[in-house]
Formats: sequence, structure tokens, C-alpha cells
Amino acid sequence: MTGVIGQNHRRADGEAKVRGTAIYGMDYTERAALHAKVLRAEVPAARVVRLDTSKAQAMPGVWAVATAADAPGLSGMMALKDQRVFADGVIRYIGEPIAAVAAETPRQARAALAAIELELEPLEPVFDLDEALRPETRLVHPDWESYQTMVPAPREGNLAWQASTERGDVDAVFATAAIVVEDEFRSPRQHQCSIEPHAAVARYEQGRYIVHTPTQFPFLVRGRVAELLGVRPSEIRIVVPTIGGGFGGKLDSMLEPLACVLARKAGRPVRIVNTRAEEMATAAPRENAVVRLRTAVSEDGEILAQEAEVLSDNGANSSGETVACANIPPLVLGGTYRIPNARYVSKVIYTNTPPTAAFRGVNGPYCVFAQEMHLDHIARELGMDRREIRRRNVLKAGEAMVNGQVLDDAVLTDALDTVERMSGEATPSGNPKALRGTAVVPLTWITNPGPSGANVKLDEDGSIVVTAAAAEIGTGAVATGIRQLVAAEFGVPFERVVVTPPDTDAAGYDHGAQGSRTTVGMGNAALDASAKVRDQILDVAAGLLEADVADLELADGAVGISGVPDRKVTLAEVAGAALFTTGPIAAAGSFAAPPIPFDAGCMVGALFTNFFAATYHAHFAEVEVDPDTGKVTVLRYAVAQDVGKAINPQMIEGQIHGGVVQGLGFALYENLRLDGGLVLDQGLESYRLPTALDAPPIDIQLLENPYPHGPLGAKGVAEPPLVPVAAVIGCAVADAIGVPVRSLPLSPFDVLAALRDKRRDEV
Amino acid sequence: MKCSFTLNGRAVEAEIDGLTPLLRLVRDHAGTGTKLGCGEGRCGACTVLVDGEPVASCLYPAANVEGRQVRSIESIAAPDAPLSPVQDALLDGGAVQCGACIPGVVMTLTALLEKENRPSEERVRTELVGNICRCTGYHKIVESALAVTTASEEPV
Repeated sequence: MTGVIGQNHRRADGEAKVRGTAIYGMDYTERAALHAKVLRAEVPAARVVRLDTSKAQAMPGVWAVATAADAPGLSGMMALKDQRVFADGVIRYIGEPIAAVAAETPRQARAALAAIELELEPLEPVFDLDEALRPETRLVHPDWESYQTMVPAPREGNLAWQASTERGDVDAVFATAAIVVEDEFRSPRQHQCSIEPHAAVARYEQGRYIVHTPTQFPFLVRGRVAELLGVRPSEIRIVVPTIGGGFGGKLDSMLEPLACVLARKAGRPVRIVNTRAEEMATAAPRENAVVRLRTAVSEDGEILAQEAEVLSDNGANSSGETVACANIPPLVLGGTYRIPNARYVSKVIYTNTPPTAAFRGVNGPYCVFAQEMHLDHIARELGMDRREIRRRNVLKAGEAMVNGQVLDDAVLTDALDTVERMSGEATPSGNPKALRGTAVVPLTWITNPGPSGANVKLDEDGSIVVTAAAAEIGTGAVATGIRQLVAAEFGVPFERVVVTPPDTDAAGYDHGAQGSRTTVGMGNAALDASAKVRDQILDVAAGLLEADVADLELADGAVGISGVPDRKVTLAEVAGAALFTTGPIAAAGSFAAPPIPFDAGCMVGALFTNFFAATYHAHFAEVEVDPDTGKVTVLRYAVAQDVGKAINPQMIEGQIHGGVVQGLGFALYENLRLDGGLVLDQGLESYRLPTALDAPPIDIQLLENPYPHGPLGAKGVAEPPLVPVAAVIGCAVADAIGVPVRSLPLSPFDVLAALRDKRRDEV
Repeated sequence: MKCSFTLNGRAVEAEIDGLTPLLRLVRDHAGTGTKLGCGEGRCGACTVLVDGEPVASCLYPAANVEGRQVRSIESIAAPDAPLSPVQDALLDGGAVQCGACIPGVVMTLTALLEKENRPSEERVRTELVGNICRCTGYHKIVESALAVTTASEEPV
């Protein structure tokens, strides 16, 4: 049993991936599938005066043309229902679907799109977040008041949603504090850029829609498609092939409703795949944001009170997680440091731009960047050491974060100590003019508390089969994590555990591969079911061995009697005996996050209210800045990460490497630029992703700090390594050049401009 | 026009337009292992070898392979044969996550290691610069490639 946990097992889906035999969503198709193409808006805001598809309908090879009339439903990702499949007479962003065509060939589908007649009357577009909130600005959704919401929240006009957290007497503290420091920070959109684009194949059969789609969250897609099409969720079946990357971008429904509508109209399967340009322009990225911070501190560097206003761009509708996670900024700002008095307001704002969505660390990375750059500013004002101000204010075990939740197991100080110990000598580039800087950043982060159901059966050959809707998006959580947990529970080799691919008809609910939750949520559900199956196995084996259940032990794929080495029955024998006596051995298990005490009274408009299975981190970076070019080179990077319990250390390291490099992309290179609502970066030529030459040396130390409600103590591991990267790089660059750069990414132009301004100020 | 070439050791004759990308022929005739990642020659998921040299098959004109040898991921290990050392090392090293870039990575590394049996880490990274991996952060891919070269030096 102990041979399975903590071991670097190879991923169970690995051979097919390296051989090229795995069938991804982008590879999947069905016999006689039609090709679909989408007519997308080319202006950011307009009224549809005339839409005539009759010519397109009559084109050769065309089987179906669909418009808003075919999909009347309103939906939204969990929180706020303000989205339709097709523009409903009003265009709200460039790229919004207006109509879709299914035809025999892609060329015929494109020709039909060109034959659709569209007449528009332009409207005044809204792009800027502050401007959107002014009373005289045109409303992106004039009907906002009529939209359904999951919980009540302050909303008005272009303010799609507001979430806030307030504690203590903030105004009184500001009025008497020794020092008040104020800052504003900005961050751009970051695109997930999974190698596999969005793809979906749908058919309509026996009155139900069957959709093959590489989604991270099959049950969400099922529910969203049902709402958009105006049918019951059970009328949709989602089947998930191998997924070619997600990072939050494949949580929500995207192409699935289009494929479903067309498949029903055409009476044939319909396949739809995004081009890379469609992917960049319409597949929802991380939101751009503005963070404004104001902090009252004592002379010795103690944070007394803090105010924040976080503006995040929802884009034209709430089809992503930006609204659902609106209370993450307050929790993140007040989850790492002791902030006794706080007023945090998070505003999600409508604009005439493509909708934004979840990206690893949703709503978090720019808040951490802002908070840490701001802390450095405070330290400068006080003439205090940057590490000292962090150590003085960081939350310790037993202290409460801003929502009143007590962090009993906080190990932030240990994490800081660990990265300090790890920081060895850097190898400089050899550029004699290079400026060098370092920074250390602590972070508290969350494991997504969503529920899971799992079914476990003992197969007739003695294998264990787990039927689950947990999606393997590449992290290894399903391909190794769940298998290792279940193998340990039954005392069978890793290879004897099978986890079926997600199919919403077969598996119980699962809350998706998001927020590092799969190993924790599905792991717990699978262990719950496994314990019940284990009881049944022992019961049957007790009969076969004529022994008491209490004397039985399960190991090496067999049940034996303690202290009697010769008396054993294999799991296959148990399964066979059970078939015609007790019946097949199987059980369902489930997981729901235990309630966590916190102060609900301090929050308004929050769907995320606390930190489930909180994890504690510290990141260290050393950078070099070339003063002639503004180029930033990361010389070395260190991570100390609380993982609860490491089920597969190698896979966790892989998640940390990947998260840090994605964070470096956010910090230094990635910027999905918009101009007049048009996404300028339509491919990987201009949207700069980190390459093998950009990945610095990364040292990793895993901290095992078990969580009592995690499977064997495990906590979420995959999301947090991205979250503090922009912050630690931003602070290290500021340390190197002696002046902060307050917007991301830290492009050579911005770094040079900051250096130039500093020199001018010094003259 | 007609295009005749060898794909994974088999003769292929295909009817193509002037600018048909090689990727389409590879996926039609070898299997779906070679991926269309970005479609603009930037991400490297579609990498195949033409006479041993890696090319981005999403841009590479199929007409250019007339009479030449093309190898895609399906050629690296026969379906019922053990994995190649590169494939094996990538799995051992935990270098595979979503795996969409991996067929392209395997082709790039295979071509490199066929030419040089002891490339430096710097050389491996430089060769991989055309293969975007959004999952792994590259370290485990690079370490796996270096592990192949170390393993090949051990006495048999």
C-alpha cells in the first residue's frame, strides 16, 4: 500500500500521448459529420436591422443555417444570466456569433456565410472600465435589471456585479494613521493558448444531444448548453475525449451549443473547430483589470487598514468565471497579510469586448502583483526592509484572514524561511551593465471546494474501475492521482485501477478540473466509494475463507487472514463469488466540502466566501535588467509550496514548472491587445508565449502540511504556482532598476521608460 | 497535381492543390498523431521530419516532399513495439502533461539525437524553441532529452 503513495508513477494516459494514438477533441469526428462555420460580428456595438439567411440556406452543400431564433435561452456561468448563443438583435462584441452554417465541406460553409445578408446600425461602443461606470455612458445591456442571478448582489447599468468585504472601522483608522500610501496597478488580458483549440462534435439522436467535446467541466457544459437551448440538462450528454490543454479556458460552453443547434436542424452530426484566430479573438481570456490600493500603516510598518477597488473587465457578457469569482480579489488581498480593518470592493464591468473567463488563478494574479508592489512602496516610504515588512504582517497559524476565517495551519513563515534557505548563487549573464534585483513573495491560495461523485466497482478480473466525470486536462490528477489513491486503498498495483473517461450519462456530478480540485474532490469521492466496496469485498471474502472480517487484510490484489500466510483469495475470486451470491460488488461515493466558519456578515455579492483547504507558498526570484534594452532575464527562481500530502511528487513538480512559466508569460510577455474592441493578436506570431529558452532554473521544495479533509491529507497543487509570479518578478525588477513599473507585462519598452523617467527625476 | 513520397516507410500518392500543407497529407495517410496547433508554423505541434530535418508541416507545402522521405510520430515506435528511448524518457521524466505538443516535441528531439548523441542543455533548449508547450514549463522535457543521452552512454 505504501508503495503507491508518494511515488512518481508514470501517467496512465502517457503511452497513447507519446505514440500519437490518443484521440483529442480536435481529432475526433463522426461518420457523415458536417462542417460548421460561424458568422461573427465585425463591429463592437450595433443594432441588427436586417438578417437574411435565405440565400445561404439555398447554397450547394448547405444543410443548416442557425440564428438567434433557434436558441432563445439566456444563460451565464453560474452567477448572472445575460448570454445567448447568437446576437439577439444587438451586437455586443467583435467576434460575437450572429449565425452559423453546417455544410458538406468547409469551403461550402464559408461560401454560405458570405451569402448571409446583414444590415447594421452602429451604436456607441464602451471600452474603458472607468468610463463604463459613468452615468452618461451607454448601457451594454439596457435590460440588465431583468437578468436572473444566483445570489443577490449590487448591480447597476454597466456594473455587471459587485462583491465586497468590509471589516472594522476603516475610515477612523485612516484618519489617525501615521502614513497612508496609495497606488494604482493595471494588467492586460492573458490568453490560455492551449495547443488544442476549442472543438465540438454534436449529434441529435433519440431526442437528445450527444456532444463530444474536450471540456474541463462536463457537467457545467451540459447545464449551460441546456439553458441556452431551452431544454432539460438530461437531454444533453457530454462525452470527453483526450483534452489538449485548458488552463480555465475550457471550463465553460463555447462551441457546443452551436454544434447542437446545427446538428438538430441538419439531422446529421456537426463538427466545429476554432481556427487559431477565432481562438484568440473569441475564446475568453483572463480579464484585464485595474487595482487601486490605499493603506494605512503604523511607523513600524504594521498594516492598520486597507482599502481596495478592483475593476475587472467582464467583456460583453458573463459567460466566463469573472463574475462567479468576483469575491476572490477581496479574499486574496486579505488572505496573506493581517489586515484588521479593510474595505475591499470588486467591480466586474460590462464592455463591448469579447467576454473574459477563468485562467489558472482566476482574478488573483493581478491582485497579488498589486498588493506586493504596494507593500514595497510602503517599505520605501518607511525606509524599511522589504522582507521585514512582509514578515511583520504575514498571517501566522491561528490568525484570521479578512473574512474572519481562522487559518489554523498557516505555514507562510516556514515557506518564507524555506525559499530564503534555497536561494543559492545565481549565474549572471556576463553583461557588465546589467542591473540585478531580487524579491520574495508569500501567498495564501485556495483549493476549489466543488463537489464530486464517483462510482467504484470490483471488476470480474479483480481490477478496480472508477467511473467519474473528472476530466484529465493534463495535470495528472486523474491519470495518476486518483489511481494512486484508489490503488493504495485496495492494495492493488497502480495498473489495476481504471478510471473511465468522463461521460455525463454514466458518471455522477463533478465540479470540473479547476482550481486544483480534482485530486481533492474526486479523490475524496473515489475513496468514499472505495471504502464501501472494500467492506463488500471483505464480507464476501470472510465467507470464502470462513474467517472473521476483523481478521482479514487486503494486500497484493488478494484478501488474506492476518497471521495465516497460506489462506488467501484473490480479488478476481472474490468478484466471481460475489456475482451470484451478494450480487456484483459496486458502490457510489461522494464528496462535499465541509463548512468552514467565517464571518458572512462582512460580505456582499460573494459566491466564493472562504478558503477551502488553504495552501501556503513563497516564491523567490532573482532578475537581471539590461539598462540599454529594458530586457528582463530571470536568473533563478525558487518555490516553496504547501501541497498537504504529495501523492505524486514528480507530477506536482511538473505543475509548479508549468505554472511558474505561465506566470512568467503574464509577468513579462503576454498581452492580448485590443484596439477599438478588436483583438489585435490573432495568432502566436504576435502573442508572445514563453519558450524553452525563457524558462529559468526553478528550485522546488514541497511542504507537506496535511489537510484533515483532503484525501490522505492532500491539498490542491496545480493552480497556485502561477499566482504570485508576476508579483515576485515585478518586485525584483523594481529592486533592480530602483523604480516600480505599475503595469503588466513588464515589457522592455515599459522598463526602459521607467528607467528613463527615473534618470530624469534624478537630474 | 500528383505528389508521390514515402511516409513512414510506405509509398503515398496523393492528389493535391499547389499549396496543400503537408500536415493534411500526414493526417490523412498516417493517423492523427500530428497536431494542428497554431496553423502558422509557430507552435511546432505539427512537426514532422523531411529527410531527417524537422519542419512545421502546417505551413510546409506538400508539393515539396515529392520523392522524399517523411516521418511522422507514428513512425517512431511501431504500434506493437516498445517506445523509443525519447518517448520512454519523456514518460519517465514526467514531461508529458496534456500531450498535445508532445508528438512535435518527440520529432524535434529524435531529429536532434540522431544527429548529435551528446547535445548540451543549451543546444536542447535552442532546438526546442520552435515547440511551444503550454503545460510543462519545459524543464522536464529538457531533462528527459538529456537523460536519453546519458542512458545511451551506459555500457550494455
